[in-house]
Parts: sequence; C-alpha cells; structure tokens
Amino acid sequence: MINRVELRDISKSFGGIAALKNVTLKALSGEIHALMGENGAGKSTLMKILSGAYQKDNGQIFIDGEEVLIRNTHDSKELGIGIIYQEFSLVPELSVAENVFLNQLNKNGAWISWSKIKREAGALIESIGFQIDPAEKVTNLSIAQQQIVEIAKALSERVKVLILDEPSAVLGPTEVQKLFETLQKLKNEGVAIIYISHHLSEIFQIADRVTVLKDGTSSESLKVAETDKASIINLMLGRSLQTMFPQRDSKRGKEVMRIESLYAANKVKDVSFSVHEGEVLGIAGLVGSGRTEMVSAIFGADEKSRGRVYLSGKEAFLTSPAKAVKQGIGMVPEDRKRHGVLLSLSIKDNINLSNLAAVSNRLGFILPGKEKEVTEQLMNKLQIKAPDGNIGTGKLSGGNQQKVALAKWLTRDCQIMIIDEPTRGVDVGAKVEIYNIINELSVQGVACVIISSETAELMGTCDRILVMREGQVAGLLNKDEFTEEAILRLSIGAGH
Amino acid sequence: MINTLALRFLTYNYMGFHLNKPFSYLIKYNTLLIFLIMMVVSASISEAFFTATNLSNLIRQVAPVGIISMGMLLVILTGGIDLSVGSVVAMIAVLSALFTQSMPLPLAIAASLACGLLVGSASGYLVSYQKMAPFIATLALMTIVRGFGFIFSKGAPVMVDENASALTDFGSESFLGIPNPAIILFIIFGITSILLKYNVFGRILIAIGSNEEAVRLSGLKVSSYKFAVYVITGGLAAIAGIISTARTSVGSPNLGVGMELDVIATVVIGGTSLAGGKGSAFNTFLGVLIVGMMGNVMNLLDIAAYSQQVIKGLIIIFAVLLQRFQEK
Repeated sequence: MINRVELRDISKSFGGIAALKNVTLKALSGEIHALMGENGAGKSTLMKILSGAYQKDNGQIFIDGEEVLIRNTHDSKELGIGIIYQEFSLVPELSVAENVFLNQLNKNGAWISWSKIKREAGALIESIGFQIDPAEKVTNLSIAQQQIVEIAKALSERVKVLILDEPSAVLGPTEVQKLFETLQKLKNEGVAIIYISHHLSEIFQIADRVTVLKDGTSSESLKVAETDKASIINLMLGRSLQTMFPQRDSKRGKEVMRIESLYAANKVKDVSFSVHEGEVLGIAGLVGSGRTEMVSAIFGADEKSRGRVYLSGKEAFLTSPAKAVKQGIGMVPEDRKRHGVLLSLSIKDNINLSNLAAVSNRLGFILPGKEKEVTEQLMNKLQIKAPDGNIGTGKLSGGNQQKVALAKWLTRDCQIMIIDEPTRGVDVGAKVEIYNIINELSVQGVACVIISSETAELMGTCDRILVMREGQVAGLLNKDEFTEEAILRLSIGAGH
Repeated sequence: MINTLALRFLTYNYMGFHLNKPFSYLIKYNTLLIFLIMMVVSASISEAFFTATNLSNLIRQVAPVGIISMGMLLVILTGGIDLSVGSVVAMIAVLSALFTQSMPLPLAIAASLACGLLVGSASGYLVSYQKMAPFIATLALMTIVRGFGFIFSKGAPVMVDENASALTDFGSESFLGIPNPAIILFIIFGITSILLKYNVFGRILIAIGSNEEAVRLSGLKVSSYKFAVYVITGGLAAIAGIISTARTSVGSPNLGVGMELDVIATVVIGGTSLAGGKGSAFNTFLGVLIVGMMGNVMNLLDIAAYSQQVIKGLIIIFAVLLQRFQEK
C-alpha cells in the first residue's frame, strides 16, 4: 500500500499564535485513519489546510507520493480531496440529485439533463448502501440522510481522500452503523479515509490507525489493534488531570435553583434537577441532546418553554433574559462570537454591558472614571491580555474573548452562573485560567452550571454531572461515579 | 466633476503615497472632508453663497430634515429604518393647523406632538413586539398616515387660525439672527449628541445595532429600546410638521412626499451604517448640511430641478464610496 496522502511538518499560526506545529500525518490508500484530539487541538485547522481554505505557513503535502500545492478549494477538489464538515454544505431547497452534482452542473455546457443526474445520483447513493429519492428536496431529509447526500456528493467528485469531521455527532446508533459500513466499502475501494472524532469507542470499532493532535502537535500514528483507550487518552490530554484543574474543596450549601418538568423547543422533555450554593453542576450529553436549549429556556431566552423554576424555594417566572438577570442568573452562551460578546465594541463596552447602572449616574450618564476602574479591575482579575479596555473585542484571541464574556457577569452579583462550553476554541493556558475562575466563583457561593462536550473538563471541574440524552435526563452522577465511560454510556443510551 | 477629481486624488494617495497627518485625519473622518469640499466648492462657484441671508435661509430649509434625521439616526443605529416620517410630517402639519382652530395654541401643539408619538409607537410596537421587519411595518404606516393626512384635511391645505399668530410668528422669526426652526434643530442635535456619547441609552442603541441577540442575552430589554427609537422619531417628525405649518401658515397634506429618502440620505452621507451599530450625531448633522448645501447652491446657480435630482443622486453615490475608505 502507498501513502495516499502525506502531511509533512505542517505549521500554521494565526496572529502569532501557533495552531499547528510540525504536524505529520500519513494515510494509506484503503485505510481508515482516525484523527483525535480535544477541541482546539488543531483538527479543524489541519482540515482547512487540506481543503484549501487556509494556506499552510510551512511544510509539505504529498498526494500519491507527489508534492502538491493547495492554493484554494478548487485545487483541493482537483486533487481528489473530499471533506465532510460537521456543518453540511448542502443547499436545502434543491433536490438530492442537484446537490450531489452541484459542482458539476455546468460541466456539460448550459443544459442540464435532469433524468441523467437523477439516475446517476440514485445509483451513487445505492452504491453506498442507501435508498434516497434523488428528486426529494434536501430540506425534507433527516440529518442522517443529509450526511449520506454529503458523502455521495464527495464521491461524485471521485475522491481519493475522504475526510469526515465528527460525522457521528448528528447520527443515531443505527445510522452510525450504516455509516461505518459505507466507510468500510469505500476503504475497500482504495479511498484513504481520515476520520475525525473524539469518541474513543468509535475509533476502536472502525479505524486502522490513529493519530492524536494535541495543542497543535501530532503524536506518532498508532495501530489501533495494538493500543488501548488509556494510552490514547494519555496522548490526548498530555498532562494529568490534576495539573489542569484546580483543587476543589466543595462546600455545598442550600438549594438555590430547582427546575421542575421543563419542556423547550421540542428538544427538552420533562427535565428536572436542582443546583446548590457553591456547587458546580456539569451538564453532559451529545451535541443535539438538548443541553443548550435547556439552559436557554432557564435563562428565559426561549419564549416557548414551559416548566417551573424555583429560585431559593420561590417560584420564578423567567420569561426573558432581562428577568433572569434581575433574579441573579448569568449566562455565557455557547456561540461566543454570535451571542457571547459584541465583537465590534471595545472590551470596556462589553464588560459593562450587563450592569451599566453601576457605572452611570441616576440620569443614565456614564461615569468614565468608574467605568475604567471596573474594566481594569476585571481585566486584571481574569488576566485578559490587551493593552487597555478600549481595544476592540474582535481583535482578541478566543480565550480572551471568552474571558470578556465571563467578565461581563462578574460586574453583577450573580447567584447562578450558567456557562455553555466554557473553553471551546480556547488555548490550554486560558483554559486553566477559566477553570480557576469557575472554581473561585463556586468558592464564593455561586452555583455554577457548566455545559461541556469535553468529558475530561466536566470530570475535572464539577461536583455532579447531569447527563442528557434526547432532551431528557439520562442520569445524574456524583463525583465518585465519574468515569468517561459512565458518562458516554448514559449519553448514548447504553445503560448505566 | 470636482468631486470626481477629489475622489481620484484621494485614491491615488491611498495607492501608497505618504499621507501627512491632517490629511489622513480628514480621510478617517471623511464626512467632514466632504463637508469642507462642498463648502469650498459652493463658495467658489457662487458669490451669493456666503451671505448671511443665504446661510440663514439654508439652515432654515434644512431644519425639518435635520430634526428628523436625528431620530432616524437612532433608528438606523439599532439596525432599523423608518419610512413613515414624510407622511407624519404631512399629517401633523394638517392636524396642527386644524387644532389651532379648535383649541388654545399650547394645547394644539401638545396634541399634535402626541399624535406624532402615537404613530411612532405604532411603528415601534410592530417592529419590536410583533417582530415585523422595520421596512415593511413603516412602509405600511407611511401609506396609512399619508391617507389620514388627506382624510383630516379633506384633501386641501388647512389654514392656521388667525388667533394662533404666535405660531406663525415663531416660524418666521429669528433669535440672535438664527431662524427659530434652526435653533430647534441645534437643540435636538445637542441632545442626541450627548445621549449617544455620554448616556447609557446611546451606548445600548449602538450595542443593539452591532449584535442584538448578544445584548438581549446580556439581560437588557432590547424591545423597549427599539420601541423607544421609533417613538422618538415619530415625535421629531411631528415637530418638523409643526414647524412647517408655523413657517407657511398652512398645513398641507401633500408635504413631505419622498422626505424619508432625504432623511435617510443625510444619515447615510453622515457615515452611518445601514446595518446598525455605527454612526454619530455630529456626522449626521454634517450630512444634513451637505445635502442642504447641494440644494442651496444648485438653486443659486439656477440649475433646473430635474438635473438637480440627477446631481444629488450622484453626489450621494460619491459620498458613500468615499466612506468605504474609512473601513479599509
């Protein structure tokens, strides 16, 4: 077998921050090669270099032993690299057939033979073991079916290398099995498959070899048959949990919030739980399990939710974020750039936004001295790295932006802090700092609710972990019951 | 022509020649640059431009558009638009004249203002609480209010009652040589400017325009702020309507057709982003003066009304193209 694709010493940095450092990865023809790593480890950067969306700073790329230059997405396609992103790139209002051949519709001049592309799309989908009506609009398909269309689209371009980014995140267990069968088939046809995932069990089920990315550097490639979960986890974390996470000495006080049979957005069904003073409660679950929808509903951001929320024993009607904030709840949303911070405004404007009353007089006139004082104090406390508070938030790194999103709530005395994905897209150093802030909040008696897709993060920071599955509470684990496996089992419904 | 040259000159400088400091400052604040260019051009092509009478005329003419543009600025800062202002001017002009016939002057003015605020709250309600697109909601109100103007006036201009001479006197008189309508414009400009720069209200409007959802998730009542800007704009349009009646002694239902576009043009020439979140009262004020000067100088030069429209449109395009440099 030959190296279908080889990445040699690839480096890439953004504004002085290295995202990839001498990454090397070789995938053979007819091999499923797993690429693992935590969020922010550099997986997506690496993919974007292969797809032509980013240009590498250094290093070489070889396809079938020949060095190639990928200057743009067109080059990448010509070389036979197909990528299936977590976010699909399908056009919802077009038919399956049109989507499959979207990039080739103009290949035969101005005229399209509908019967031909429908026939070919149908055949292509059948060849990977599925039945989808090529005339159906993509918007009417299930997520799993859409993924099949994505794969068919990649195949229509005769890929040599197929890269899948977390393909199982949107699929149910039976669909995952079908996907695996498809991948096996492609593998047997000689395609090199790079399978990005952080589900360990999947790797052992499907991959031949595995390479781990950590903080932008690659590990040696291990044969899956000759390794075990523990050694992969070691490679992924690279340091023991004790040094990442602050020592917690949790003092659980009285109950501050109780949720009773909450329903929201068709994605949250009958959820009940409670949080106590000084406690850090983790919320685990797969993407799409309703975690974000649940906390949005508690925060009043979802107008159509129903259910009861009790704050310190009294029923609260949190119908808008404004009301929730008034009652002492703060939330750092999952999507930092869209919801967490205002990128076009300064750090100062962002930090003071949720408590402008504290930095203005009774007529609403802003007191610049006070504003500056609050900003500087919080920038110091959270170690936000910027020359001063007048810097635009959009210019900061992800970690510093996230700290700004957090700092906004520290201007108020929140009793409950909800943090959705506290460290997504944040470098390791900032991660540790954010963990310390969360710990400090809980020591001060704040009840923290943390949603995270990183199991290690939840296990390291939380006192209890609530696992969600398909909009419901699948289980609640106490600290002594924390294991990666227990959480995963509950998330995917494989029993306790 | 001159603007084309200026643009070319600026472009060349952008291609890599060294810019000295005051000059790059002007490019950064290019609304000011456009204003200065317009002023120099106006003064050099018409001797009548820099006379006290003409300048006082100019400022009196721009007052209605200027007053409304301050409200429109607030609306556009939040990412909205208000197309109903021209119709409100007409309806309030008619109503204020009618009211003088049946009630004492202070009450007539208060009632007229209240009607303007009412229209503004209708737009505000539809936009912020019913989540209707601002363009659509205010377009609907534009025709509704225009219709009411005609209904109230029965289609003909309405005379101001003789007993309300204080109103018409106010409209034609000056204070310290400045026409009264212009004084109102200055006051409103001053208040808007202070609100935007130093007050929480302005800060929040700008924040809403740059990312509404993030502001909502910061616990602020976005809806009330959005509601407020339409109410304010309705009120300012009413003031412009009353001023117009005061100046001419009649309230005409045909007033202000297409005025909303003039107002939006001044705000845009002032460098305000139609997407929201970026803009200042000072630059909008300059925009008002720029548009006013255009009309004024073309009148002085006896340029035909049809050609004036074409030239005005072209100048707007050039002005906005110049703004682009700022963003790079």
